[in-house]
Amino acid sequence: MNELSIFVYPPKFGYVIPENLNEALEFLEQHEDAKPLAGGHSLIPMLKLRIIRPSYLVEIRRLPLNYIKKEGNMYKIGALSTHYEISKAQIPLLSETASRIGDPQVRNMGTIGGSISHLDPAADYPAALIAMDAKVKITSRKGERIVDFASFAKDMFTPDINVGELVTEIQVPTFEGYKFSYQKLERRAGDFAIVGVAVLLKLSGDVVDDIRIGLTAVNRVAVRAKGAEEELLGKRINDEVIEKAATRAMESANPTSDLRGSAEYKKKMVKVLTKKAILTALKR
Amino acid sequence: MKVVQPDEKVKITLKINGQTYETEVEPRRLLVHVLRDLGFTSVHIGCDTSNCGACTVIMNGKSVKSCTVLAVEADGAEILTVEGLAKDGNLHPIQEAFWEHHALQCGYCTPGMIMEAYWLLKENPNPTEEEIREGISGNLCRCTGYQNIVKAIKAAAEKLSQPQYPRQQ
Repeated sequence: MNELSIFVYPPKFGYVIPENLNEALEFLEQHEDAKPLAGGHSLIPMLKLRIIRPSYLVEIRRLPLNYIKKEGNMYKIGALSTHYEISKAQIPLLSETASRIGDPQVRNMGTIGGSISHLDPAADYPAALIAMDAKVKITSRKGERIVDFASFAKDMFTPDINVGELVTEIQVPTFEGYKFSYQKLERRAGDFAIVGVAVLLKLSGDVVDDIRIGLTAVNRVAVRAKGAEEELLGKRINDEVIEKAATRAMESANPTSDLRGSAEYKKKMVKVLTKKAILTALKR
Repeated sequence: MKVVQPDEKVKITLKINGQTYETEVEPRRLLVHVLRDLGFTSVHIGCDTSNCGACTVIMNGKSVKSCTVLAVEADGAEILTVEGLAKDGNLHPIQEAFWEHHALQCGYCTPGMIMEAYWLLKENPNPTEEEIREGISGNLCRCTGYQNIVKAIKAAAEKLSQPQYPRQQ
């Protein structure tokens, strides 16, 4: 820890304040080692720890990418929407997930675009985004492309973003009539997830019409718990199938041992939290 | 487009507790250091890693940890610190409540706690105990005085609901 605690000042960097998105994209395209600064709540700690040494920070925070709108059966969320704003937007599953990130001050600054561009394997959003089949809009001077979140999250800390590109929007379906829950196990308040489980569930009568279970923090990137979903889909919901599904959720988890717990413990917690998430969703 | 080179300084304007300040900063300078250098020493540096909340201030109406905000990014912002709470020699109701309920021991976390409470009560004027605890989850007290801090915030909520405080600023 010593070497981490010596440097509490960021290293020197230049600072760019673009007038508009195009200027930001142009600068980022021309300066491969420049970094966009959104909420800064992953970037500034990394600068302080000297994990990264960008030549320039490009201030994108004031660009007009701060919106949440419902269009047809889609929510379109500007990349610079803060966790706080998303937590208040009443988007099924995603708002609840946003409300569990960090602490209030972090949620006031941190943005969804920043979070997924950083792509910490223990972040909260990916559980929800993978369950929701979210799409990510990426913009460069060449134009826009829209990719599934599942393919966007190539590996831990490795989003599908090329030089000169910025995440500008996240799109999620509205999931009307769905029950949902995000359950997170933390070592202490405000920490990253030890295990995070997001559940979206649609019933017709007592039969499961659709089920989507996203897991975060237990793989290099978030995954769907396909085995657990299989166990539930088309079945009458009862304690027995929920127990079976929760058990099978462990198949989709390959956690590593670290300060937050052993791999074995985390795997067991996937079962516990999956069950809790399904039961909590059913109570809605 | 404005480009500031790594060795250059940039002029920023901050409105702190209602008064405008101009200063020059390197891009890497943190807001907490600028505030302290301008004399607002209520803004404490605790962990310097955005965990402890001792550096919490209100920026453009929202609570933030000023150790994790660049001063240059705060250019043009309105900042409120504990120094800006008392009016005409009278403590703010949150300060009064902290005093009356002995919500501090060493006092190091207190300014951050008070500013976070300020934001919490603006968001939710009548919080439950659980909401208060969640609300200050980004602020650490190592004297473990949370009980009295929670009590003080509850009491502050009641004070602020009195008619002489029609609406918190």
